[in-house]
Amino acid sequence: MEPLFRNTLGPTSWLLLGMVPLGIFALYFLKLKRQPVEVPSTYLWHRVIEDLHVNSLWQRLRKSLLLLLQLLLVFLAMLALLRPGWQGQALEGQRFMFLIDKSASMSATDTKSGESRLEEAKQRVAELIDQLDSDKSAMIIAFAEQAEVVQEFTNNRRLLRESLKRIEPTAGRTNLTGALELADGFANPRRLLTEAGEFEVAENADQGVELYILSDGRFRGVEGFSLGKLQPLYLPIGSFHTRNMAITAFNTRRGDERPDQRQAFVQVSNLSEQPQKVIVELTLNGGLVDAAELEVPAGEVASVTFALLGGAEGELRVKLDIPSEFQDSLPLDNEAFAVLENRRDARVLLVTPGNMTLESALSTERTNRLANVEKISPEQLEKSEYQDQLQSDIYDLIIFDQCQPKIMPMANTLFVGRLPPLERWKNEGNSEIVFGPQIIDWERSHPLLNLLELGNVQIVDTLRTKPPLGGGVLIDSTKGPIFSIAPRDRYEDAVLGFEIVGLEQDGTRTFNTDWPRKHSFPSFWLNVLEYFTSSDGTSISTNKPNSPVEMRINNLVETLTVELPDGARREVQLEKPGRLAFHETDQLGVYRIHVAGQIEKRFAVNLFDRDESDVQLRSKQEGEDGVQVVDSLSIGYVDVAAQAPSSPVRRELWKLLLAGALVVLIFEWYIYNRRVYI
Amino acid sequence: MSDVRESPLLSPELLAQLERLELVTRKVFRGRMKGERRSKRKGQSVEFADFRNYVAGDDLRQLDWNLYARLDKLIIKLFTEEEDLHFYTLIDASMSMDFGEPTKLEYAKQLAAALGFIGLVRADRVRIETLGQGPGERSPILRGRASMWRLLQHVSAIQPDETTSLSEGVKNFCLRNRGRGVVVFISDLMDKAGYESALRYFVSHQVDCFVIQVLSQEELEPDVKGDLKLVDCEDADVAEITVSAPLLSRYQQTLNAFTQGAQEFCTRRGMHYMLANNRMPVEELIARHLRRRGLVR
Repeated sequence: MEPLFRNTLGPTSWLLLGMVPLGIFALYFLKLKRQPVEVPSTYLWHRVIEDLHVNSLWQRLRKSLLLLLQLLLVFLAMLALLRPGWQGQALEGQRFMFLIDKSASMSATDTKSGESRLEEAKQRVAELIDQLDSDKSAMIIAFAEQAEVVQEFTNNRRLLRESLKRIEPTAGRTNLTGALELADGFANPRRLLTEAGEFEVAENADQGVELYILSDGRFRGVEGFSLGKLQPLYLPIGSFHTRNMAITAFNTRRGDERPDQRQAFVQVSNLSEQPQKVIVELTLNGGLVDAAELEVPAGEVASVTFALLGGAEGELRVKLDIPSEFQDSLPLDNEAFAVLENRRDARVLLVTPGNMTLESALSTERTNRLANVEKISPEQLEKSEYQDQLQSDIYDLIIFDQCQPKIMPMANTLFVGRLPPLERWKNEGNSEIVFGPQIIDWERSHPLLNLLELGNVQIVDTLRTKPPLGGGVLIDSTKGPIFSIAPRDRYEDAVLGFEIVGLEQDGTRTFNTDWPRKHSFPSFWLNVLEYFTSSDGTSISTNKPNSPVEMRINNLVETLTVELPDGARREVQLEKPGRLAFHETDQLGVYRIHVAGQIEKRFAVNLFDRDESDVQLRSKQEGEDGVQVVDSLSIGYVDVAAQAPSSPVRRELWKLLLAGALVVLIFEWYIYNRRVYI
Repeated sequence: MSDVRESPLLSPELLAQLERLELVTRKVFRGRMKGERRSKRKGQSVEFADFRNYVAGDDLRQLDWNLYARLDKLIIKLFTEEEDLHFYTLIDASMSMDFGEPTKLEYAKQLAAALGFIGLVRADRVRIETLGQGPGERSPILRGRASMWRLLQHVSAIQPDETTSLSEGVKNFCLRNRGRGVVVFISDLMDKAGYESALRYFVSHQVDCFVIQVLSQEELEPDVKGDLKLVDCEDADVAEITVSAPLLSRYQQTLNAFTQGAQEFCTRRGMHYMLANNRMPVEELIARHLRRRGLVR
């Protein structure tokens, strides 16, 4: 049962306060210091005084009206200090920890007041802080993907309130484990000490820490965590019937039938209890590209695919246009972003002793757009600078024409007329040269041979390219496989068995095949570049908020600028040339990487988290009546039951009392100034 | 004196107004010299007064020969004498008069000068005295318009530093001035021993007495608040008060009783009483109130 009064002062303070009324009494009953005023004559005044002495009791009472008022004022102040109140939930315990969820789902606006859940959580914590006695301390931890200490243990309520105000919503996911570990570190320090062989901290020995978790519970339980002295209380924020539409996936990919076309794929989830139609709008660089209407069944997902022009590039943005009567509570996930990079600045190294046909096939306009082809001779390859580069993952593709390196480079490779210097490729019969192979079949579905007609290609001689285990034959001939591909670590090695231009015995260059005269030849090299230089033609993989982004920067610069979605810019120092690691990804949207004033690259950060977008409180049916209650949290082996949705907060009178004291003070001042007339 | 010019007791406008006025008395007194007022004395004016039998030694020129012819008796024809009037102004110059804005004494001096000027214009014997003067110290008797400057000098030299009690002062005044006439007594009547005994001297002196009680605005409506120690400026007597509404209303009652009592006392004894506020201009007081009371005409 909640006590009616809650003492806020210690005995010394009360003693001091108790002396205030005594002081007032003393001031009144000690000799009053009267202000001397000279008058012509006290003749009349004496007669007045004599008259008034007749009814002196009433006069004395009237004189002490101010005294009574002052005593009332002090009494009210004392009463306020006792903090009378009722129907409150007492804060039991000495130390408190408030874990505030600031993940994306906490931005949902389904509270009664219409504010976001985070605001309500902050409000609730503020109310709890108000109840905090001065001898109790509390700390605040805000968590999303990462947990952060907003305020360490303190009994300074003003500090706590100010820190509370600083918590901003993020777009991150919920990670309670991290927050609990952080809380554990603060609450159970003695564990570390005992492990280090120290004494247990006596003052904390039997003090538990009340752990208030304010969250919407949009996460799975935490396993394998021991709460130790933490005594968790779960205050769920939100409601059961919150509706939300969310984009849970958005990417671009090459068209299935027409590889030069891109498709944008949008998946929309309906996280409510009723089917709903939405309009999905796709914009590219701010201009509307397409829109589609989707009907999403309740609790299901629906998807739509938009066709994009092959040459399109820029920032794609997809937005859900939800009718207002649906009352979508989380606007954060109604938008998604993607970056369409058509220009691939892949780096291709062509190592050749000289091959006009190949060089010209790799220097067309389209190939230039796809990749940056450098050409060196096999002699240059032996130099140390290239040796270093070959091992440093700079090139996307290295074409070895009529030559082979001593060790395999860290890149995709295409060997023309040679076998890779690897044991695996030295299958039987691979090393001997066979003459006059006729192409029987080729793998038409493989991207390298996409849309190629090879039946009319004549070849003089070739190496057999039987692939090692895990590889595949792409062109088969009467003499065996002549074009194969095999994976190596995270790279792929393709081997074309026949040379295009070969050396005769006498050293003259001659054509080994008539392939360069066919239409399929330039197409093949385009396919090669497209296949090897970009991973798969999808949009740059989406990044999650609050997780670091790693990117390759082709420009060998040391510093660059990252423009955040809200327009802010951050200078980033590259630790490794060509590698960007960026951590400040708490905003959703497109980040632009500027190098020397130009947009070098972009990447998008999206939520795409069904757990966060599913903003309804997790519930379970309980009891025979099947009352819907908030599901409990499970932390380790402990089930933390949810507290009542609105835990009763103690109603306090002290503000009213202080206001009353103020009124009394004003009244007393009025009387003092106007008592002549009373 | 320089004071005269700095704070003129009588402004030219006031003088012009006063010139038309005249001091009046209901009683007829004997004057000292030939004047403009009817005296009790029989003398040589044109106004017939009475007959009486001739006794040896009378002036034969005053015999009524027509009556002698008819009655064959020597009868002397008497005429009324016209003499001047004694006009006294007695100012209470005690320290209690040095209050108010203007001070009550200032007000009293102004009033005395104004009334004195009227007397001078009408050729009366004007004498302005204060309570503090001993039985032997006499003020000059002023007569005629030419004496105005002496009157003003004399009045402005009065300082509020006298400590004589009310009755003592009035007694000394009566001892000094045996002549009957009009006495204007200007005071605040604030004497702890009471004003009654003082006023009785006037009764026994058989003068036409006007008591003008001058009270300052601060006395009539005190503007005080808080816990105060009131100090009497004359005898340093102390009264401790805590100002409250009942106290103030009680003060008003007491003040009213005091002034009413004084008025009643005066009226019963054939004296004229008037309460004057120092905020009321002197010209208004003279032209309206004193004229109604019959002191001036």
